[in-house]
Amino acid sequence: MSPLRAATLLLTMSARQAGQTVPTGAVYGVVRDTAGVAVAGAQVRQLPSGTAVLTDSAGRYRLDGVPAGIVTVRAARIGFYPQQLVLEVLAGDSTRVDFRLRQSPLLVNSVIVTAAKRSQLLDQAVTSVALVSERQIAQRAVNTIDEAVDKAPGVQFIAGQVNVRGSSGFVEGLGSRVLLLVDGVPANQADRGGINWDLVPAGEVARVEVVKGAGSALYGSSAFGGVVNLVTRELREGWHGRVRATGGVFANPPHAAWGFRDYTGIQDGLDVAGSYGQGAVRAGLSAGARHSDGYRQQDRADHWQVTGKGEWRPEPATIVNLSGAWASDQYQVPEPWCESTQCADRGLAFQPFLINAANLGNRTRSDKGYFSTLVTRTPSERTAWMARASWVRTHFTDAYPQRRPPFSTSDYSIANRVGFEGRVVSRPDTLHVVTAGLEVTRSDNFSNVFSGAAGSTRTHTEGTYAAYAEAEQTVGRLQLTIGARGDFLAVDGGGITAFVSPRAGAVWSTAAGSWRASAGRAYRAPSLAERFVTTYALGFPVIPNPALRSEDGWSAEVGRTWAPRPWIRGEAALFFTQARQLIEPVFNDTTLVIQFQNVDRARLMGVDLSVTTTPLPPHLTTTLAYQLLDARDLTRDSVLLYRPRHLLTLSADFVWRDWGAGADFRFSSRFERPDPLFPGDRQFPGRVLDLRASWIAGPWAVHVKVANVFNYVYNLAPRVLEPVRTATLTLTFSY
Amino acid sequence: MTTMRTRVALLVVALGALACDDGLVPQPLCPPGFVGICGRVTFRGPVPDSTDVVYIVAYATFPASQSDLFTFQPQSPPSLHLDSAARATTQPYTLKLPAGTYHWVLAAWKKLGVLTPQDADSLLREAGFYRDPADTSQAGTVVVSGATTGVDFVVDFTNMHPVSFYFP
Repeated sequence: MSPLRAATLLLTMSARQAGQTVPTGAVYGVVRDTAGVAVAGAQVRQLPSGTAVLTDSAGRYRLDGVPAGIVTVRAARIGFYPQQLVLEVLAGDSTRVDFRLRQSPLLVNSVIVTAAKRSQLLDQAVTSVALVSERQIAQRAVNTIDEAVDKAPGVQFIAGQVNVRGSSGFVEGLGSRVLLLVDGVPANQADRGGINWDLVPAGEVARVEVVKGAGSALYGSSAFGGVVNLVTRELREGWHGRVRATGGVFANPPHAAWGFRDYTGIQDGLDVAGSYGQGAVRAGLSAGARHSDGYRQQDRADHWQVTGKGEWRPEPATIVNLSGAWASDQYQVPEPWCESTQCADRGLAFQPFLINAANLGNRTRSDKGYFSTLVTRTPSERTAWMARASWVRTHFTDAYPQRRPPFSTSDYSIANRVGFEGRVVSRPDTLHVVTAGLEVTRSDNFSNVFSGAAGSTRTHTEGTYAAYAEAEQTVGRLQLTIGARGDFLAVDGGGITAFVSPRAGAVWSTAAGSWRASAGRAYRAPSLAERFVTTYALGFPVIPNPALRSEDGWSAEVGRTWAPRPWIRGEAALFFTQARQLIEPVFNDTTLVIQFQNVDRARLMGVDLSVTTTPLPPHLTTTLAYQLLDARDLTRDSVLLYRPRHLLTLSADFVWRDWGAGADFRFSSRFERPDPLFPGDRQFPGRVLDLRASWIAGPWAVHVKVANVFNYVYNLAPRVLEPVRTATLTLTFSY
Repeated sequence: MTTMRTRVALLVVALGALACDDGLVPQPLCPPGFVGICGRVTFRGPVPDSTDVVYIVAYATFPASQSDLFTFQPQSPPSLHLDSAARATTQPYTLKLPAGTYHWVLAAWKKLGVLTPQDADSLLREAGFYRDPADTSQAGTVVVSGATTGVDFVVDFTNMHPVSFYFP
């Protein structure tokens, strides 16, 4: 090129450039989801083809060089509906635009943390895991988290007692065969072994992971039938707040002959949460209260709670978490219902909304709380370790004003569980992962009802010392896992009992999902309550059994995760558990006393299926979940109590712009064997339809739910009425 | 060819069919049109191993002799569910009777064995009876003109009386 021609070209280009120069400004802001959580990695672009940037970890973005005038900016990220906003950009100025993205039902493979005590993709878990997302929790407008977990595939609550694949049945909440974790910290009651579902407010839970099948190889006792992990919200940068108000009404009995009050029962609640984060330090606090008139006679309940959470990152590889919660409940006891002659029965054989007059005045105060400290350090990509200290405390007082000597008019129990855990996750290379840890737990219980001697108050203790390890190796598309946990248990400083719970599993990845298989041993140590209970039930003394042994069994599963298209995802599993020494309350016909004993051998086997589809993406999401359960009591050669053969859940959600509508239908077949204590009682199937609607715009969210639309009146546990139709309105403001 | 609308309609119908169930409904202690006695017994004490059956019977007049023992009503009396007797504290019963006045409504325990009038004293026991609310040491009188409710009493297996207790 000649110098003259080059100079001409340069001049021409400069002239064009000068002619096209337009004044510009900047657009900046934050991208959050509807819950106010920062969305990192979202793409923000000026339309139609302008500059694009990604948001940082705090959800912040900045677009420079945006032409002045009216422009359209769009924010998008996988898993959310895109949002575009029209704004005016002033030359030389900057304009703030915040986006609030709503989660879309795109079916993506989720990251879970419970199945292997470390992060992994859902498809890589060797056992079945059901997830309850933050969106599902919000849609269901629940007061306590168990109301949301209840609709998870393979999960059923029987009068408040959780069952995963028929694990627990119903034993008045005692001796749960499901372990509750709060952010990985065990939170079952130290005395009864049961679960306080109102320990953590529903609004603080970001998601729930339900690990199905025996989890003793990593979690030890209580994880006999499954593990439920409540994962709380992350703390975010900057100031954030949330106010959640609920109100609702209970339907009156559908038959005038069952009437029990001349007003409509209500429930209401208010939760306020706030958090602040800057640099290395973040903290959050929430408080709330709610009241319920209940749907039966003597069913009022009041609840107060406070939760707190803090996070400190002294350096990028180290995180220190502190969390705690305290909740207090005072409620009347509305069970069991009144049989003829036990109240003003109006000539009826039973009055399900009334209580036996002998139990009038019964009430409970239940205080509970936990505190945990967790240090997590990731010094390299190959190694991470954590150390945890936790404390769970429960204190309940049951008042029975009509009891007469020798039985106390007040049963109480104060229980503490202090736990320590250290864990290392090592990834020596991309094909191997080793998880190993030590766990020490000490429980104590001061009580007059779990004392082991009628009429006295005593303290009992239980210590558990455990070590576990699990190794995973990847060979091509095959991932093999093998591990074991050893638990050493001592009650009241006595002899040590040892249990070893091995587990082996494999996952075979395919183009459209994965196959998995696993087998492991499970055990559950009897709770202090089951060993030492001394009380009075159904008119008979309940006596202690310090010689109770642990339950144990073997559990196996073969499963398939299947996602051939982005709009469909399926889970299927064949499961099998053979258990022995199951602990159950036994009535002695001769001595007329009730005692917990190791009596049963049982076998639970079945099929667990769930399919989620988005047939009209992105508007409609449907879920079908079905569980076929064959639960046999091998000791009596009969059906195991309180296990439905069929459990069906259908859900559908339709979203259009800011509006949403949905439905959940749950069917559980009638129990095939009545409780021998109540042989004449009819068994009912569970058939409950819930409808819901929502409107979400900016920081505001309104959810309306009508649970049990048809006001189907039934019971699952003996003479304990399940909830009637309840309409609930929830208003949430998030900042 | 089914349309999406048809499928949705079918789904709604199916859900409705599954969702609609009577569930618990008010259950009169006495069935409609029933003539007789409805009540509940409350059990006390362990059921003896030698128990054959426990009947509920009524007498229009208090028997005056052993020979009157077999004048009870109804001729085929209902029996109590013994598998639940020891565990359940109460149990409802219905006793179909002709309209009239009855002076002794009781639970009659029968021991295992073949009952004959000669063996009545060894095989039969009075295990409890409806008592006069004004004087609980005496049997209560029950007037039946339709469904008579509230005839409740205790069956005490630890305090049963043979025939000879009443007719020595």
